[in-house]
Amino acid sequence: MAIANESHQEEHNMQEHHGAGRYVVIWVVLLVLTLVTVFTGRMHLPDFGLLLALVIASVKGTLVALYFMHLSEHRGANRLVFGVSIVFVVLLIGFTLMDFGTRFRLANPPGSQYSDLQAVDIGANPAEGRTGGHQQQIKQQHETHE
Amino acid sequence: MTPSSSIAAPGAVVPGHEATDDHGHHPSYLTDGTTVKSWLLTVDHKRIGIMYMVWVLLFFLVGGIFAMLLRIELLTPGPTIMDAMTYNRVFTLHGIVMIFLFMIPAIPSIFGNFLLPLMLGAKDVAFPRLNLLSLYVYLAGAGFALWGMLNGGLDTGWTFYTPYSAHTTTTVAPVLFGAFIIGFSSILTGMNFIVTTHTMRAPGITWFKMPLMVWALYATSCIQVLATPVIGLLLLLVTAENLFSLGMFDVARGGDPVLFQHLFWFYSHPAVYIMVLPAFGVMSEIVATFSRKNIFGYRAVAYSSVGIAFVGFFAWGHHMFVSGQSTFNAGVFGVLSMLVGVFTAIKVFNWVGTVYKGAVEFSTPFAYFCGFLFFTVFGGMTGIAVATVSLDVPWHDTYFVVAHFHFIMVGATIMAFLAALHYWFPKMFGKMYHEGWGLVSAALIILGFNATFIPQFLLGNAGMPRRYYEYPERFQALNVASTAGASLLAFGFIIIAVYLTYALIYGERVDNPWNSKGYEWLTASPPPTHNFIGPQPTYPEEPHFYVDPNTGKGEVSDV
Amino acid sequence: MSSAHVTPGTVPGPKLAAHFASLEVQKHAARLGMWLFLATEILLFAGLFACYASYRFLFPEAWAASSRSLDLTMGTINTVVLITSSFTAAMAVHYAKEGKNKMVGHMFVLTLLMAIGFLVIKFFEYKHKFHIGTLPGRYYFYEGIQLPGAPLYFTVYFASTALHALHVVIGMTVLAFSTVRAYRVGDFNANNYTAVELGSMYWHLVDLVWIFLFPMLYLV
Repeated sequence: MAIANESHQEEHNMQEHHGAGRYVVIWVVLLVLTLVTVFTGRMHLPDFGLLLALVIASVKGTLVALYFMHLSEHRGANRLVFGVSIVFVVLLIGFTLMDFGTRFRLANPPGSQYSDLQAVDIGANPAEGRTGGHQQQIKQQHETHE
Repeated sequence: MTPSSSIAAPGAVVPGHEATDDHGHHPSYLTDGTTVKSWLLTVDHKRIGIMYMVWVLLFFLVGGIFAMLLRIELLTPGPTIMDAMTYNRVFTLHGIVMIFLFMIPAIPSIFGNFLLPLMLGAKDVAFPRLNLLSLYVYLAGAGFALWGMLNGGLDTGWTFYTPYSAHTTTTVAPVLFGAFIIGFSSILTGMNFIVTTHTMRAPGITWFKMPLMVWALYATSCIQVLATPVIGLLLLLVTAENLFSLGMFDVARGGDPVLFQHLFWFYSHPAVYIMVLPAFGVMSEIVATFSRKNIFGYRAVAYSSVGIAFVGFFAWGHHMFVSGQSTFNAGVFGVLSMLVGVFTAIKVFNWVGTVYKGAVEFSTPFAYFCGFLFFTVFGGMTGIAVATVSLDVPWHDTYFVVAHFHFIMVGATIMAFLAALHYWFPKMFGKMYHEGWGLVSAALIILGFNATFIPQFLLGNAGMPRRYYEYPERFQALNVASTAGASLLAFGFIIIAVYLTYALIYGERVDNPWNSKGYEWLTASPPPTHNFIGPQPTYPEEPHFYVDPNTGKGEVSDV
Repeated sequence: MSSAHVTPGTVPGPKLAAHFASLEVQKHAARLGMWLFLATEILLFAGLFACYASYRFLFPEAWAASSRSLDLTMGTINTVVLITSSFTAAMAVHYAKEGKNKMVGHMFVLTLLMAIGFLVIKFFEYKHKFHIGTLPGRYYFYEGIQLPGAPLYFTVYFASTALHALHVVIGMTVLAFSTVRAYRVGDFNANNYTAVELGSMYWHLVDLVWIFLFPMLYLV
């Protein structure tokens, strides 16, 4: 009875009582990592700044999932569910970014770093309505669009 | 013991069957409590399945009426019975009703709810109250959507593409919000099925002794759980965009409508497999039962369900070949889409391998299987064609695509839905319908379906775009043919409605008219409230076990 | 499927629903169901993360500039508050296993207070943005950042923080039920703490999402 075993093992692990110390340690580590990420974030590292911040966030997230959410004591299916959901998040973001990265430049939104067109409207200064678009032609297009 | 006699006594060693002899003590789920409250507040998965059936069939009728209105409108090149704006609304509502209200809940919520616990030897699904909740959430969402439709309707098409859906003056927000609510219902059902499959299997039912219907439902549920939240978020964003112009997909402010399409198809492509995977599951059950043979390649069929669910997530970009998506992405998605064909072909070959040298009993469900097989292969092959970037560019948004996805959604899913309805009708109600009329209507429907959609392939190939109100003179002959086919199809459905209603009241009492050995037939028909009476049944055999009609093999384990 | 190992000792357990084989399986099912639900929540936010990633990719300058217009101090305080509230929620599970119902209640009250604190800080951040005009889409009127994509940043900002705040409120409702039960009924013990555990799992998810939103929004 695989399922009975799995349930039993999980129950057994959950029954095993840890001291509160473990939670305190995780809490302190999370706070330290938060300070680290704020510190490195304020350095405004070029290029890999966001990457570093996301790596730190992933470490923090993993700690929360493993210890606060007890994933380290759960088994089989629960871990699989969590893992698979992360894989699909990566899939969604990955394929979408791949599209923007490899697109025909004129198909990207105007004003973006991968487009040769200038922005139509960035929304500031509502009195004039348009401050970002310098091309009369595009402005007109936008007005007919509205 | 001859093979046929062993088939004739399917439930000899099974507890719970005595219930049929012993009527007074163990009422079936249908007669155990007859008040309205006992139905509306039930947590019995079987009653919930039946209530789903009532509503889903009602919405099928609504969607079908919209479809007929469309076909009547397209009888002539110019205006026929409605104006252009009404036409836009009608095709949108046809799509929304058929997809969100009929197709997605159809097989999982009706037959899945009814059968999954029976097939796993469980007394109920894991979370019976969530199951009831999912029904009411579905009805609440449907109510919202219908309210929006009655208050003006919307003309965006069921895909709600921005920027149009953000700017149109028609009633977009309530319908989108309704679809968002229905998503919760779908998620609840999916969660329930996954947990049920993991935790409620009876002793003896290991993963590879589960009926293939369960595998299909499991794979479907995975898609429901993983994909539905993304469209939930997206529908919220578009609702907000429509009401407050937040500008998430607004080109004027740097937004990208193609990003909307990415998120939309991340759900809506796998949603095709939410619709079609349960159909594959139904057919795996039916092909074994009516060929009197164990399914050929059980593991291959089981794995391919999960495979389709997985690969289905890698294919969404093939809806966006002409949207401005990068050609690189288009190529990648095109190639990955074809993997779905590989897994589907595995199933098709295994079904054919099952029928081969089987003792085929050509009843109504099997007739639908034959139709299904043709439609799946034909729809699948045209799917490979439209997944090819160079071919899709001219075919995109033409009737070719319309015909292709109707071949899969109607051809495969509705054939399977009807097959399931006929196959499990005796299980659900303990009554038998008129087999002759069943075959007649099956023939009508298969014929009518071909007559409806094969002309549409030709129209699309000739260049007729989809969603157009008017068309040139030269397309009229094929459009008339398509409308004629649709009428035939509708006529077939009317016949079914009549004889099934008749059978419900006057039908002959039966228990297991097919002599099926599926797990769900091990209990009485209709099943008692807690599915089984007495000790939990044991499952010594494989789920699709039949004595081989050629070799007579299998009698030993029959004992 | 023997039930010999179901009830260790004399501790009263929760009710076994008729359709489950044993209590262990019932708890396992509850946890698995919760994990599946959390997976849907993760994918819900994934849609927003995809929007974020795409537009960050397209408008890196506007993203950096807009991110710097946020109040990092308030964001950091909020992160610390939420992590600490997550810690107290974890401690509630710890005490529930020991049967100390009073402490479970206290821990959840602390969690709820911090949740309210989080929302209050968020409110002041929002108020400031409404004041200076860093608002989504066409409502944007901030003169300080005149870069294409800046209004889009605030669309993403408001959409994701608002959705997260909604989850904070839902999580608070869930925890409030367990708090009342811990104080009034007091029936949590080593055998019966599923409600506390699942509620706190939900709260950890709210924390988990914020752990990612914080660097994404404040530290680009």
